[in-house]
Amino acid sequence: MNSMKTRTQLAEPTHSPTRLAAIGMDQRQRNALRILFSSRCNKRYVLTEEASSEICILDLDSFGGEQKWKEFRDRHPEWPLILVSIKHHEIADRNTLFVQKPIPVERLIAAIETHRSNLPGSNIQDSQPAFDNPRINITKPMSGMDSTPTSRVVSTRRAASLMSASQEQTFVGTSPDIDPTDPEQLQNIYYNPAHYLQGLSQQALNQAVRYNQAISMDGPWPPITLDIESNKIWVAATERQLRPFCTLPDTTLEVELTPHAEGWSPPSNAKGYPLQAFIWQLALWASRGRLPEGTRIHQPIYIRRWPNFTRLVVTPHAMAIAALWAQQPRSLLDTASVLNIPQRYVFAFYSAAHAIQLVGETRRAVDTLIQPPAIERSTNRGLFGRLLDRLRGGKRER
Amino acid sequence: MSDFKIIFSGPVGVGKTTAIGSISDIEPVITDEKASDMTSAQKPGTTVAMDYGLIALGERERIHLYGTPGQQRFDFMWEILTQGGIGLILLVSNARPDPFSDMHFFLDAFKHFIAQTKVVIGVTQMDLSKQPRLEDYYLQLEDNGLKIPIFEVDARVKRDISLLVEALLYSIDPGLED
Repeated sequence: MNSMKTRTQLAEPTHSPTRLAAIGMDQRQRNALRILFSSRCNKRYVLTEEASSEICILDLDSFGGEQKWKEFRDRHPEWPLILVSIKHHEIADRNTLFVQKPIPVERLIAAIETHRSNLPGSNIQDSQPAFDNPRINITKPMSGMDSTPTSRVVSTRRAASLMSASQEQTFVGTSPDIDPTDPEQLQNIYYNPAHYLQGLSQQALNQAVRYNQAISMDGPWPPITLDIESNKIWVAATERQLRPFCTLPDTTLEVELTPHAEGWSPPSNAKGYPLQAFIWQLALWASRGRLPEGTRIHQPIYIRRWPNFTRLVVTPHAMAIAALWAQQPRSLLDTASVLNIPQRYVFAFYSAAHAIQLVGETRRAVDTLIQPPAIERSTNRGLFGRLLDRLRGGKRER
Repeated sequence: MSDFKIIFSGPVGVGKTTAIGSISDIEPVITDEKASDMTSAQKPGTTVAMDYGLIALGERERIHLYGTPGQQRFDFMWEILTQGGIGLILLVSNARPDPFSDMHFFLDAFKHFIAQTKVVIGVTQMDLSKQPRLEDYYLQLEDNGLKIPIFEVDARVKRDISLLVEALLYSIDPGLED
């Protein structure tokens, strides 16, 4: 596949590579740095042990990070140091530079080059700061963490959608982008699945799987029964009749989960929906472009596997989000930013996929170390867009 | 006129011809011949050459849809067909005796093409055989670290095959709507 390279790329080194040590980083983080140095920095830097290094990088978020920093400075009062952390730190030390995680590659390079220019015997020609060095092709920052809704122009292009405007409003809502630094706005993006039929269904499913029996959810809604045997939820109502109970909170205050004996069969007036597709849809109805409470918007999100889109409600941009996360974990805000789409589409997809346990927040330190690269633009992007429109629009049906 | 192609592959009888027909602008060109002994029990008239369909994007661009012959003895054609292709749509039937083996065989047979492009997998006939589940297919691929899109499909349904093609395009370029 041909693609336009937009990544940061350093020129070949004209002398021995600069030796860097990583302190407070596990093996995965070290490997990530090794790969970064060899693939995107033309082996201009090399990872080594502290004793033989020229510059050190210290992860303040590691266990005892602050103490490690103090001990490092006790050992090496003048040693060039780059501190990295998810949280911003003001550093009053001329030998210490700070780069916030996830680390934008160009900022790490700039910090290394700044330190390198002060190393004894450094070549003046090669020691210009990275941002001023014409040999370094800097990409624009990709992080959604830096962008505010007022500063970002969201794409207005719409591929032909499988969803009508009213359906989109039903499943994704209409909430505007939020400013992640505003606590008040942050509050508005969350909902508690347990207060909706979604949460009750997930609870019933867990119970049904655990005891291997059909479970009825008795409440103000039409009869609903989860049946593990057929892998279906049986509902004696149409979607239109059921929806109000799924979109309003606290309809589950007085409910009962009733197990059924073996050999239960659905009533003749009930319609069976595949379990996962049903819970996916309940999550969309309940979330309407919001996130389950407790979701961290800056934490990278992984996708365990692609949703079975052919049997699910496909919200706008869902396929793009899945493809992006399949390549590499990214935070929710970064996802909206790099795809140039409103946040609510990312939140809606996350909520639905989270309800059927396909996505989650990464827990590994390496996933928040380096900022994911920009999307590599296919040379056929225009063609793909036209094909996409065609497949969805179906202008020339046979 | 710019020409591009998408390759459909998979074992005999999985629905490649039908899938191409579901999204093609033209009636698919089918070059069926009498099946060999090996495949006649599965499908009386099976594809021993190739299938062909077409999606025309205006006056200037055409997407050619090629279905590879399912029989292994025609594998010499697979490499020729894939040259210059956008990507691979692999169909696997859940009703065949060993769908995992089928999947691994075709992923291996097209590994060079896949390395240059992308692949998506459609599992057909899940209505005839509920097992294995889609989850099981993903578990089979877990070792290689690939997150290939795998969808349940009915080859006769345009939406299903369209979504497979969409997943292929987004896998190549997630930012294609931008």
